Formats: sequence, structure tokens, C-alpha cells
Amino acid sequence: MLATRTAIRVLGFALFVAVVVLLPSRLSDFRASEFALIGIYFIAILGLNVLTGYTGVISLGHGAFMAVGAYTTAILMLGRPGLEAGGLSPPGWLPVGDGMKDVYTIPIAALVAAFAGALFGLPALRLSGPYLALATFGVAVATPSVIRKFDTVTGGSGGLNLFDSPNLTGAIFNAVHVPGGRTLTFNDWLYYLTWGVALGLFVVAWGIHHSRLGRSLRAIRDNEIAAVASGVGLAWHKTLAFSLSALYAGAAGSLLAISAFSVQPGAFPLDRSIALLVGLAVGGLGSLAPLVAGAAFLVFLPQWAQEISQAPGVPGVIYGAVLIALMIVLPTGVGGLLRRVLGPLTSRLYPRSQ
Amino acid sequence: MVLTLALAAGAASARPAADPGVTGSEIVIGGTIPLSGIAQSYASVGRGAEAYFKHVNARGGVFGRRITYKYLDDQYNPAQTVQATRQLVQQERVFAIFNTLGTEQNLAVRSFLNAAKVPQLFAGSGATTFGRDYRRYPYTIGFLPSYVGEGKVYARHILRSKPNAKIAVLHQNDDYGRDLLSGFRAGLGAKRRNIVATQSYDPLSTDVSSQVARLRSSRATVFMVIATPPFAIRGLVAANRLGWRPQVYVNQVGAATNIMRIIAATANPRTIQNAITLISVKDPTSPRFRNDAGMRLYRQIMRQQLPGGHVDDGFHVYSMAVAHTFVEALRKAGRNPTRASLLRAVASLNIRNNPFLLPGVHVRTSARDRFPLDQGQLQRWRNNTWNPLGKVISARP
Repeated sequence: MLATRTAIRVLGFALFVAVVVLLPSRLSDFRASEFALIGIYFIAILGLNVLTGYTGVISLGHGAFMAVGAYTTAILMLGRPGLEAGGLSPPGWLPVGDGMKDVYTIPIAALVAAFAGALFGLPALRLSGPYLALATFGVAVATPSVIRKFDTVTGGSGGLNLFDSPNLTGAIFNAVHVPGGRTLTFNDWLYYLTWGVALGLFVVAWGIHHSRLGRSLRAIRDNEIAAVASGVGLAWHKTLAFSLSALYAGAAGSLLAISAFSVQPGAFPLDRSIALLVGLAVGGLGSLAPLVAGAAFLVFLPQWAQEISQAPGVPGVIYGAVLIALMIVLPTGVGGLLRRVLGPLTSRLYPRSQ
Repeated sequence: MVLTLALAAGAASARPAADPGVTGSEIVIGGTIPLSGIAQSYASVGRGAEAYFKHVNARGGVFGRRITYKYLDDQYNPAQTVQATRQLVQQERVFAIFNTLGTEQNLAVRSFLNAAKVPQLFAGSGATTFGRDYRRYPYTIGFLPSYVGEGKVYARHILRSKPNAKIAVLHQNDDYGRDLLSGFRAGLGAKRRNIVATQSYDPLSTDVSSQVARLRSSRATVFMVIATPPFAIRGLVAANRLGWRPQVYVNQVGAATNIMRIIAATANPRTIQNAITLISVKDPTSPRFRNDAGMRLYRQIMRQQLPGGHVDDGFHVYSMAVAHTFVEALRKAGRNPTRASLLRAVASLNIRNNPFLLPGVHVRTSARDRFPLDQGQLQRWRNNTWNPLGKVISARP
């Protein structure tokens, strides 16, 4: 019986992969870049889900970890020669390298963000509930200012331009050569890069979900005292959740830097952190694949609101109204809806006792 | 999830293959403007330009073609500027990017637009790089007087009127603030040592009173305010609270009449009495222009094309001045404009009758002069309004 359930999951994942692989052939070049953006948000929301969905810790500061990832990628891509050519003078002790291909910077950016997450997690986890949320909020508020402060390496408010860097794989109108003799447009390349990373991290998130770690985190969310009584180390697990979550945000930030071929402090305002939480709520806390819907919501709803009217204030009101309506109709997000609709169907395939 | 993806895929539109943005009856241009978020007061910069194009279209357009101006919201977030500009270039296939607002925002797309060979016209930023670095970025040109040039104008006025005054400076801690400050310092030359105190603020902070207190303790008698409207207000109100009465200079971005009136109403009006600024665009609230032909045209366009728009909002006048310049450039680009002919036209402008600019302020460019608006007129704040002080002068960097 367990085999049936696993088979359904594998089938579902295979379908997911097939859609991701085949989609660009049905999309215009520009749309592919939009779907790449959805992939980026998907990664960040998956990460936030580890923290908020499983562990029950609300973070209003994940934009900050995206910024860490984005700046790590940008600085490594430019390297010392690139930064100095841009009129900057990175401090000598900082290992910025001599320029690195964009793809290789992604795992480094993710790890640096994970480290930042752990650093922040250690002291902050003494706080609980809304107090911790407020501390993360503070991080989000301070991020752009902190970036401006270290302008010898971050480029200050003007940011860093990656478009002219030789380490950006393919400029906009050049084809990107990929293994197997095929060529892709820049937007399709972005799409596959983003979704490649997203699917990999999705599998990891799925692994966390079904592992001992995932169960421990959910135990913390449901009842901290009971969790501790069952032998779950609170500080360690929360810090680990923070770190893992920041790792995802860092990978997303890194991809955002590549996709926007630049980084600026203005790209990581408070709104960005709040948007991630909105995407998570729309996708469904604790869900996995349905979080794609949350990511799509973040990309498409503001556009649709704008198409309806550009009159002062109207797009914002539409966005807010749709969000409120959605939360009334789908209080558990798209994930909750799918569980309600698909649950009775798939559960017929195996006995309830499972 | 599959459904979401499939739905969105269906919405993808086919790409036309012809000359981008120009058809027999239409010219499509686009840009980004913050319509929501922290900087949404700049939305007028999009709406005013759109209103002017509608006015031109109602009179037959340019060589029979109507101008369609698509401006997208970027929430003042440069990452969103990149995505929206990509949409305009790759999907909407615009002829040119026009009037995109913000320094970081324009910087974020400059390399992309130059690689794509799409003109980036009249960028809404005074950063000197947009006029200076045209050899590297030939498709890009700004519009606002450069911040460096503006700083030099204030410095020259101080050298003339109070050559030995001690000067205190408050500036925003970013490229814009530093650009203007560097022009101010350069303009003072050897007298830059008269700057006895400099304080900066972070654009995301909320208070500048401690900075102003430190500036006041320097006993300076001239106060140079390099700040955006909210900080100009807070800075000058704080100066008043401390009983500090220096000669105030306010940079153009923070010196709109309505901002000055807020300061006068909140603080003691004497704080900003005789304050000085540099202005290039006509002030819609000024009694001087009540019967001015250009401002009559402005009010008519507002009434007909943008009913409900705030007539006293100076950004509307600014945006019509930009739109007017674009229309003149397009006329000059010929009956069948190409991106190349438009760029040639943009680099050889000589517009003496822009109805929205101060009398005597001309829009001039050449192959080596990429600062379209490099003149202005000093103004002095008296009787709750700006009054011209001297002639139109150069604000070249």
C-alpha cells in the first residue's frame, strides 16, 4: 500500500518535471523570463515554508537573505578586477576572487546566506512568536541601509551591474550553448537554470518534509513543550530551520541577481519580504508543490491589477481586495484546496489506516 | 498548479516581426514609473506625459502617427524595472524607452538597452553619468539638469553673495546626494574649506534632527539642503525648532512650492524666508504664469486629457516638458523614423519654445553635449512663493 502512495507521488513529480521542461516551447521568449521569476519566488517560498510552514516561526525578513545571496553572486561574478573597474575598492581581506561564472556562484551564495541565517538565528531564537517576527522585520528594514553602508564592495545605492560582465552566461540576445549541442535564448536559459535549481531544492524540501527532521520541526510548531519532552532539541532545530530557510532564500537571491543582471539595495525593500509571506500563505503553509501557485500569484497579480486600471491607488486596492477574498475563500491556501479536492480521490487507492 | 501554468501560457502573445514599435498609424514607446509603493507620488511623471501625447494625438499626432506611451509600474524597485523593461522591449516591442524614472532604475537597464540597441530617452534622473558617459552608452540620454551642475550653481551664488560665510551641508547618503555635493564642492573651489560641517542621512531613515543639531553647532550661516521633499521638510523644521536662522539653499528636487508651503506652515515662515533654489520648469502655482500661454496650454491639457489630475502638481508640468521634447525629437527624426534617426535627432536638439520651461530655458544637445536641460534660474522664496533672482544661467556640470 505504501508503494501505491509513493507511486502516486513519483508520478506527480514526473508530471511536474515534464510540464517544467516542455513549457518554454509553448511560451514567448519574454514569458519564459516571467516564468523564471516564478521559479525564483518558488525557491524563496519553499525556504520560508521550512521555517514558517513547518517550524511555525514567522519571518518578515527573508528579503534580507535574498539580498545576501544576490550580493554574494554579484560580487563573486565581478571579482576584484570587475569591482575595481567599476571604481570600487573592496577591502583586501575580503575573498572576492577574480571573477567566477554565474552558475558556480549559486551554491556559494546559498551557503553564505545559510551561514547568515544561522548567525541571525542563534541570538534571535531566544525570542518567540511575534517578538521574533519583529526582530526579522528589523533585519528587513535595515537591509538596504546596511548595503549602502558598505559601498566599497556593494557599489552603494547604484548597485553592481552584471550585464557587461563576461561571467554572465550569454547576453540578452546571444544564444546560450548548452551541453548536447542545443542553443537557448537568454530567457529560456534563465528559465531552465532557475527551474533546474528549483526542482533540485524541491526534492530536498520534500526530503525534509518526510524525514525525522521534518517531523521534529512540525512537532515544534504544534507544541514546543511536547516536542522538547520527546527529545527534540529546540535551539538546534530552530537554528537549523533558520539556516536551511536562508539557504533557499540565498539561492533565490542569487538567481534574481543573474536574472536582473544587476543588484541594488532598492531591489530588496521591506515589501519583498512581506511578499514572500503572502506567496506562502496563498500557496498554503506546509504544502510543497502548491507553493508554485503562490509564486505565480506574486508575479501575475500585480500585472493583472495594473491592466485593469492604472488610476492612482487602484492597482493596490485590487491587489489587496483579491488577497482578502482569496484568504476568505481559501484560508489554507491553494495547498489546502488541493488536499480537500484530491484527498478523497487518492485516498481511495489505499486504506485509511495508512 | 498545472492549470495555473497552462492558463498563463495561453495568455502569451505572438511576436510581430516588423520594425519594432512603428507602424503606419502608431508609434509605441514605453517606460517605467512608480505607480505604487513608497515613491508613488512620482506617478504624475507618467500621467502628465501621457496626457501631453493624447493632446498631440488629438491634433493628428506626428506625421499622422499617434503616440502610444505604455508606462508600467516598477514600485521604484530596480529589479522590477529590469523585468518591466524586458517586457516592453521583448514583448510589447516598443520603439524606445522613454521617461523611466529614478537613478538606480535607469542604471539597472542601461547596459541591457544599449546591447539591445533600444534608445533610452530622457531618463528621469539628474545623475551626471547619463549625460557624461554617452560614448560608452550611445543609446542613453537623461533630461534633468545634472546634479553636479546644480551644485555648482549654488556654490557660485554663495561665492558671489557671501564669499566668507561658513557653510553647513545636509545631504542624502546616496549617489544623488553625493553627486550634488561633489558639484557644490567643486564650485566652491579653494573656498570649499568654508564648509564647516557636513551631515548625511540614509534615504530610509525617518528623522534628521540630530544631524541638523550638529550642523547648527557649527555656527554656520549658510545651510545647503540636498534632500528629497520629506527630508527637506524635516530638516528645515528641525532648524527652526533649534532657533537656527541661516541663509537656506534647497536643491531643486526638494523645493517644490507645495513643499515650501508645508515648511512655512509647520515651522516659522522666517526659517525659509529668502531661501534660494534653482528651477528650470514653470511653477503651476506661481501667480507669475497666470496668463502665460504655456501654462494656459498646460491647464487646458490637464482639463481635457487628465481630468481629476492635480493641476498644482509640478511633476505634471515637468512630464509635459519631457513629452514635448520627445515629440520635437520625433518630428526631427523624419517622416519614417528609425531608432537611428531618432537618436540623431535627440543629439541635435535646439528647442527654444518648450512651453513648459521657464522663459529663456532652451533644450539643446549636440553630438558632444548630452545634457538637454542645462539651464535654470535661481529663485528666492518670498511672499510664500518663488520669485526669480537674476537671469537664466547655465547649470552645466
